[in-house]
Amino acid sequence: MSLADVLRTLDDAGLAALLRRRPDLVVPVPTDLAALAARAQTRHSTARALDTLDEFTLRVLDAVRLARDADGVARAAAIAEYTAPAAAPAAAALATLRAGYLVYGPPDTLRVAGGVDEVCGPYPAGLGRPAVQLSAAAATLAADPARLRRAVLAAPPPARAVLERLAAGPPVGTVSAAADNGRPERRSGGRRGRESGPDPDSPVVWLVDAHLLAPTGVPAGAGDPARYESVELPREVGLLLRRDTGALGPLRPTPPPVGPTREQGQADAAGAGQAMEAVRQADALLAALAAEQVVLLRTGGVGVQPLRRLARAAGVDEPTAALLLEVCAAAGLVAEVESQSVPGLLPTPRYDTWRVSPLAARWSALADAWWVMPRQPGLVGSRDDRDRPVNALAAEVERSGAPVVRRAVLAALAALGDGAAPGDEALVDHAAWRWPRRVLGREAAARQAAAEAARLGVTGRGALTSYGRLLLTPVEPADEDPLGVRGAAAALDPLAVALDPLLPAPVDHVLLQADLTVVVPGPPEPTLAAELELAADHESGGGADVYRVTEASVRRALDAGYTTDDLHGLFGRRSRTPVPQTLTYLVDDLGRRHGGLRAGSAAAYLRSDDEALLAEAAADRRLAPLALRRLAATVLVSPFPQARLVQALRDAGYAPVPEDAAGAAVLASPRTRRAPGGAAPRRPVNPAVPALTDVRLAGIVDQLRRGEARASTIRRAPAALRAAQGQVDSGPAAVQSHTEAIAVLQQAVRDRRPVWVGYVDPHGATLSRLLLPVSLAAGYLRAEDERTETLHTFALHRITAAVPA
Amino acid sequence: MSGGPLIVQSDKTLLLEVDHPDAAACRAAIAPFAELERSPEHVHTYRLTPLGLWNARAAGHDAEAVVDALLRWSRYPVPHGLLVDVAETMDRYGRLTLRNDPVHGLVLHGSDLAVLTEVSRAKKLAGMFGARLGDDTLAVHPSERGRLKQALLKLGWPAEDQAGYVDGEAHPIALDPDGWELRRYQAEAVEHFWLGGSGVVVLPCGAGKTLVGAAAMARAEATTLILVTNTVAGRQWKRELVARTTLTEDEIGEYSGERKEIRPVTIATYQVLTARRGGVFTHLDLFGARDWGLVVYDEVHLLPAPIFRFTADLQARRRLGLTATLVREDGREGDVFSLIGPKRYDAPWKDVEAQGWIAPADCTEVRVTLTDAERMAYATAEAEDRYRLAATARTKLPVVRALRDRHAADQVLVIGAYLEQLAQLGEFLDAPVVQGSTTNKERERLFDAFRRGELTTLVLSRVGNFSIDLPEAAVAIQVSGTFGSRQEEAQRLGRVLRPKADGRQAHFYSVVARDTLDVEYAAHRQRFLAEQGYAYTIVDGDDVLGPPLPTSE
Repeated sequence: MSLADVLRTLDDAGLAALLRRRPDLVVPVPTDLAALAARAQTRHSTARALDTLDEFTLRVLDAVRLARDADGVARAAAIAEYTAPAAAPAAAALATLRAGYLVYGPPDTLRVAGGVDEVCGPYPAGLGRPAVQLSAAAATLAADPARLRRAVLAAPPPARAVLERLAAGPPVGTVSAAADNGRPERRSGGRRGRESGPDPDSPVVWLVDAHLLAPTGVPAGAGDPARYESVELPREVGLLLRRDTGALGPLRPTPPPVGPTREQGQADAAGAGQAMEAVRQADALLAALAAEQVVLLRTGGVGVQPLRRLARAAGVDEPTAALLLEVCAAAGLVAEVESQSVPGLLPTPRYDTWRVSPLAARWSALADAWWVMPRQPGLVGSRDDRDRPVNALAAEVERSGAPVVRRAVLAALAALGDGAAPGDEALVDHAAWRWPRRVLGREAAARQAAAEAARLGVTGRGALTSYGRLLLTPVEPADEDPLGVRGAAAALDPLAVALDPLLPAPVDHVLLQADLTVVVPGPPEPTLAAELELAADHESGGGADVYRVTEASVRRALDAGYTTDDLHGLFGRRSRTPVPQTLTYLVDDLGRRHGGLRAGSAAAYLRSDDEALLAEAAADRRLAPLALRRLAATVLVSPFPQARLVQALRDAGYAPVPEDAAGAAVLASPRTRRAPGGAAPRRPVNPAVPALTDVRLAGIVDQLRRGEARASTIRRAPAALRAAQGQVDSGPAAVQSHTEAIAVLQQAVRDRRPVWVGYVDPHGATLSRLLLPVSLAAGYLRAEDERTETLHTFALHRITAAVPA
Repeated sequence: MSGGPLIVQSDKTLLLEVDHPDAAACRAAIAPFAELERSPEHVHTYRLTPLGLWNARAAGHDAEAVVDALLRWSRYPVPHGLLVDVAETMDRYGRLTLRNDPVHGLVLHGSDLAVLTEVSRAKKLAGMFGARLGDDTLAVHPSERGRLKQALLKLGWPAEDQAGYVDGEAHPIALDPDGWELRRYQAEAVEHFWLGGSGVVVLPCGAGKTLVGAAAMARAEATTLILVTNTVAGRQWKRELVARTTLTEDEIGEYSGERKEIRPVTIATYQVLTARRGGVFTHLDLFGARDWGLVVYDEVHLLPAPIFRFTADLQARRRLGLTATLVREDGREGDVFSLIGPKRYDAPWKDVEAQGWIAPADCTEVRVTLTDAERMAYATAEAEDRYRLAATARTKLPVVRALRDRHAADQVLVIGAYLEQLAQLGEFLDAPVVQGSTTNKERERLFDAFRRGELTTLVLSRVGNFSIDLPEAAVAIQVSGTFGSRQEEAQRLGRVLRPKADGRQAHFYSVVARDTLDVEYAAHRQRFLAEQGYAYTIVDGDDVLGPPLPTSE
């Protein structure tokens, strides 16, 4: 009876129940029930169904698989034998499995759906295959329980230790690992085992010889069956060893007990505080990024040093900085800038809208991004397989399973009820019981997820917050308002709506104090924050913001166009307390001094001690093109150069005197203009006769002698050589090719006879030498110079000709 | 949200809104573990520091109580991370205790094996430990008691010192309450100190720290070594002890540059103890000269570094530190904590004032406008001379005289830093000048005359910064100071904060030259006073000089 047959017997409600339980079966809708059954038994669908099961239910499924007879049919009695310690919960678990059609059929002839064996692996409940499937000898032993028991009891302690470990599961081990773990002192033996089969003294060999372990995995081509690499514990031996714990191992029909609970209110308050903190820290981090672009590594990601700097600037530790950076990136608040030569990280335009939205909305943007991001920020700072540090935003942080683990941890916490605060270890254990297939093997990631939830304020004091719980509820699928026409209020997601009442309301006033601090007793309104950001320096943040008014900050405000009245108005309007006199004085003092010095640019000035004369020049209409401006009673300035100023004044009948930079008068006499001309012709002089000193003469003679010697060598050289060198004076001769020259050389090396060699020296001069070749290799000729009897090396490509002497 | 008066900041500062109806209760709740950093008029700032939290732990408060106090009084949700951090920090204190083992002598006992193992392997502690006497106990060389505590504090595992104290040589001392009695906070301070064994009592200038010392001595009834900043302060201690206790002049010795007396109660100056000849401290024997039962450190915040080293060897004796502030300019607060002891008591200045013991001071900054000639001289002066030029401007002189004349009925102190200026002032005001070169005898004479009211005006140089008891002074006029030290300001204010017999108003004037560095430095000093809750009024020098005189109220 196949699953399809069973499905055919179902009524509509039954089918609907199955589809509700396993919704992935209807994407796309199967054509008929046979197709539905086939899809239900695919590896993918089975895995999804198994993922939702808890540890105990999976154990019961193992029991069903173990209880199957040769026909693949499991009888209720056989299953009960395995699940005896927890019969009642096992019945419920079996019902769950049947409801999902992971097992099907009448209670006394249960079958396991296809795909389960494939997904769950070959070792149900960590037990090995039956001995019959492994080896004949083991089967014989297993068939006789008494002998089997004696054999187990006879095992020496190291062998017994190996047995116990394999009995706890998984039931297979490699020989070297067994040697390493079982007999640490014989570690070298284990390594030898890999090359030449197991060490004859190892407990594994003893066990194999006793047929308590079955050798598997004999490497292909190894003729000797003794050279096995791995062993398997036969199911019968495993069951015998598990007599005390039960055939399925320790059974936990109910989740492990958890620790204290907290008042939900307490958790919410601490969580909301942490949520504010996380938003503040993220804001500080983004502000630091905006202030100074962070350079990305070539391999991607933010290096250790930049991350440290960023963390310091934002006032957080490095793991927090890494988490916030990842979350902000996932939320689209920072992005890589690729247009520049060095890839860098900068806030995106979305950051600007994010930072002015309400606190709760800012948090929910971060929390949503964290909830779905396929990344595991806890890996940052650890080292990868190649022992290189894992960097924030690098590809190594990508983990597609991260959201599943996160959901498993928070869902496990939610399932514990309001205010449950089990602590990280117990929580991970609980999650691992509830969804073993999602959490086991990823415990580190689960712990990190719990820590991240605490750091972001999703949990508070170890318990899930009431607003954090909303992360687990699915959101409405499609955004029906992509353009945001319904306004910001409608766009607030439920998370923000739930968090908002827990957060302090924005305040629009400040408290001013005589030590010039400005305290905003709560989160400031955006306009207030902007005003204070300009007029005061931020000192500390958190529940409130403390600013301090300093000379520098007041000057900054004045520079930005505020007047002292504006500042007095700002402080007076915003302050709930009387404005301290010291602040008034500070603003007034600086206001008085602000602009006390004025800077500007001009190209030339006009000064005179006679104020009337300057007034006249300033009023003179003829001088209007000079755009003279009166700076003081005795100074006018003009944007035009001095020469033009002087000329214009002279033209207008004034008598100006130009000044240089030091204030001295520059007196210019009229200049006569001339064309540039050549030099005057000069009387020719006799070229000097070089003075021939004795030394110089000696040098010249020596030069001549060397030239002569060279020429005589060339003359002695055969005509063919000279021809090859282009010295055709000696009459026509056949020009030798390079190959011919090499052949001559090779012959000469063999015969050890001298040859005439013509070659080009490094300066391009052609020379001829009578040489005794020694060797010819690697593009070089080694030869002895006949005259000097020294060994030389010649590059073959420089050799132009060779003629036997 | 509870709407409480407290706001918790991310940088672990706590803001307390003083006008909130619950402010007093909240202050009482957080005072044991948070240090008051600033107390301006509306919002006081407390800070959570590891030292403060450990102080609280030492006084028996646990982390849960701290967390509860924060949650209870906080206006806004407190971040989870901060609560965890507080709990973890507090948990570090008391994991290690120094104990006196009947068999092995001084031992370090650890309730957490991992911590004990960690410190036993720490490089900085090498050589301080003897044998490991069991899983949880390490022998400690008795001579290393102080240095071990110092080093453990640096490692972040402060040890609780339960090793006890020697009683010292008994000597009968009792208070002699003749027409006066110990004020409530003084009695509390002594009680807290005695229960804690050793430690520091923080009281503002003029709140009667000497009396706390005397009461502690009466409690110990043992020979006492008192360490003070200078000779004048030492004589003042002696006078006070003779007046307030059963001790007679003969029982009190002075150990200073002039005299070297060792009596049951000996008063020594830091200066003589730290004096070196040929690189060797020559007066260290004093610490072993008698079997002291109590060592009193006056002005702990000025305690010179070598004294810390000596104190490290005095760990078996009871130690009482007295100070107006734990803030040290050199940042060695941790050494005070580990070597003298945790803070045992403190009262904010304003609170003490509210109790009526300290005359409320009226602080005024008088700004004078320099003459054009002075402005030109200032404008063209070298950078290093500019402050001196501004601070010693002659323009200040008539203003000082006008101020003095305004308070003709009061005793007036004029305080400055530049001798030349002080000499001018002395001439201008016709008042004697006390400066470094004035002999101790002459100082005593002048101070006595001032106390008796024969002198109404006294010009003081930097010596005025140290504790001289001139309780009759009702007005202090500061004309120049050293580059804006906060400590100096506190000391100067202390001069006039002494209780006045008739509850008169005390006045503190600071005369500064407008638009110069003088104002900048004044602003820095003034910030300290503002943080202590004393708001300045700023008036113009011309208003002081010319009629009509503005009232200072």
